[in-house]
Amino acid sequence: MKIAFTSTGTGWDAKIDPRFGRTEFILIYDEEKDELTSIDNRNIVNIAHGAGPKTAQIIFDQAPQVLITGNGPGGNAAGVLARMNLKILIGAAGMTINEAYEAFKNNKLQQGGENA
Amino acid sequence: MKEIVIISGKGGTGKTSVAAALASVAQNIVIADCDVDAADMHLILKPKIKHSNNFYSGVKAKIETHLCVSCGECERICRFNAIIHTSGTYTVNPLDCEGCGYCYNICPAGAINLVEQLVGQYFLSDTKLGSKLAHAQLGIGADNSGKLVATVKKEAKISAVRNQIDYILVDGSPGIGCPVISSLSGADFVLLVTEPTRSGLCDLQRVWELTTTFKIPAGCIINKKDINLLISEEITQYLQKNGIYLVCSLPYDNDFSQAITTGQSLVEYNPSKWKQLFVNIWKTITKELI
Repeated sequence: MKIAFTSTGTGWDAKIDPRFGRTEFILIYDEEKDELTSIDNRNIVNIAHGAGPKTAQIIFDQAPQVLITGNGPGGNAAGVLARMNLKILIGAAGMTINEAYEAFKNNKLQQGGENA
Repeated sequence: MKEIVIISGKGGTGKTSVAAALASVAQNIVIADCDVDAADMHLILKPKIKHSNNFYSGVKAKIETHLCVSCGECERICRFNAIIHTSGTYTVNPLDCEGCGYCYNICPAGAINLVEQLVGQYFLSDTKLGSKLAHAQLGIGADNSGKLVATVKKEAKISAVRNQIDYILVDGSPGIGCPVISSLSGADFVLLVTEPTRSGLCDLQRVWELTTTFKIPAGCIINKKDINLLISEEITQYLQKNGIYLVCSLPYDNDFSQAITTGQSLVEYNPSKWKQLFVNIWKTITKELI
């Protein structure tokens, strides 16, 4: 399974970025390959409007099965993500990527995104 | 550290009056004025600017005349008629350019650059209350954006972390657009300030629909409750149905406009009437609702 995180850094010790659209990095953990890769999202942080849908497009292209974030995504971004088979989990603000992954495995995260 | 965002949907409900009053009674906060189109916290908080930074946003096309081959392609495709030429020299009229980048992409000579625009400044300041204020000022014709709200909030956050401050109080903008979405992103609590008018309720509903996509706990203050008791009742029922905590209702009061006219918060203007009330509101939010 592939799991995406919104992150302020590139490693397991980085903190979850509580923002979705303007997250600094997107980390993808591929459980089968046991491989953590990072996507630099800072050029999207820099655009004036519509950051959410653009970040959603990147998530869409990466095609993870799970997204772990702070409290987003907003309506437009959620509309993009609703087109893929993605479980959105929220409430991971303040955790490291590692802690968020553990929380996910122990079903400690809240389900998000179903309002879209 | 917790982020509390104050929004209203409709403008003119008393959002900033409430924000300034809370700022007067709350200890241990950094204030972020994210209503940059109509920033007014600084009128009350009298900030002394400590750090200022330039804010760049958006692009406009610029033709490098020494590379231009005067083919006229840019002028032909520009749907904003922003390319002007006099005797074979092509230039961009910055007032008409929307920064779409079409000309940049089709120029056969590679003579067009997209240049980032300096549209304003953002600041970190000391206020007369002792707390810090993150705020911004835009140039003429520049508009607030999700990026600017994110920038101001980030400035507030850095200051809060550095000074071990527990709360960031964000004065958000009206509406439900990009700046509001950006102010909600990453927030821990939303305080909705509404008024009992048809548009007050309608805009409350729209902004609540937006808030629910973020799953943030919310409370509401009904301001000027007594100007329409029927709609006040409708709002109360709406709040109940949607699990929004009714923090309090406030009567219509001339102190609101008088306080702002004299550059004070309600608490400063008439402490015997307002101080304890806003102390209680702040307590309710920070102790019970977050």
